[in-house]
Amino acid sequence: MSKKTINLEKNIMAKVKSGKITMKPRWYFILGSLLMIAGLSGLSIGAIFLTNLSFFLLRQHGPRGDYRLQLMLESFPWWIPFLAIIGIVGGVWILKKYDFSYKKNFSLIVIGFVLSILAAAFIIDYSGLNDFWSHQGPMRGFYQRLKNQDSVFPTKKGGGQGGQRKFTE
Amino acid sequence: MPKLNKFSDEELAEIVRTKDNSAYAELIHRYEKKLLRYATYLINDEDLAADAVQEGFIKAYINLNSFNSKLKFSSWLYRIVHNQAINLISKNKRNISTDEILEMGSGTNLEDEFIKKEIKNNLHDCLNKINLLYKVPLTLYFLEEKSYEEISNILRIPIGTVGTRINRAKIMVKKICQKKQ
Repeated sequence: MSKKTINLEKNIMAKVKSGKITMKPRWYFILGSLLMIAGLSGLSIGAIFLTNLSFFLLRQHGPRGDYRLQLMLESFPWWIPFLAIIGIVGGVWILKKYDFSYKKNFSLIVIGFVLSILAAAFIIDYSGLNDFWSHQGPMRGFYQRLKNQDSVFPTKKGGGQGGQRKFTE
Repeated sequence: MPKLNKFSDEELAEIVRTKDNSAYAELIHRYEKKLLRYATYLINDEDLAADAVQEGFIKAYINLNSFNSKLKFSSWLYRIVHNQAINLISKNKRNISTDEILEMGSGTNLEDEFIKKEIKNNLHDCLNKINLLYKVPLTLYFLEEKSYEEISNILRIPIGTVGTRINRAKIMVKKICQKKQ
């Protein structure tokens, strides 16, 4: 047995006693847990909203709407489903950090999480909330710009109005 | 303060974080040898194993407030040291079983006692030829005498996976030991 092995207890306790190593306070871990919950909730809500928005736009202009497939592929705001996927991946990453994730079948947890987001997004769209938001309330402008395929982000010239081609005519 | 050896690990952990940090010496005393043995099985180097255990104990002390005293302290501590050992293995590029990793084959289950004897008798030969993935749960089960649930908590894998890996490891050990004879 090496000398290092023999002095293990002595070495560690010397560091503890001298204050070279200190315990992280309890609030540090509570804050960590709260941030994790907030992160998971935020990412889930964001992913639900963006998935719901994708359903809404597909319903408005999809194969049964006034777009042809090629036209839709060219003008569809792909950043919405892209961000929704990032939200889902982030949510899964946080879920993996939880203790229960390894005790259960993690593939099933992931499938359940993704299906819940898709179901919640579908229910929101199906309930007519998107139609309501696109006609009134503070989200109206955002929805109108999306429906008209304008950039939802301000641009140099148009400030968000007419930043992209319109295909609704 | 009454004699520290009367307290359970979880009670001691509570004492360390709330009353007296010198009680941590008792926890080190209880697990030092077991963890050194476990880390040495994994790393195959006593000095590196001692480093892993020392770092593990230091990390455990720093993060003691994150330990949930309703759970088993030993599993929590083994997990920390296990991670340290795995980090050291990757850092030092020490692939423990590079020379001859046995492929999985079909076979029947052996009696646990036989396996236990074989492992103890031909420790290095048997264990070093098994892939780390199977070697770790087998070591924890037979040599550290941990339950499936404890191994699941240490390795953070489902209990079913623990069982599967141990069973596969048993078959591998059987093949290696038979080869030797």
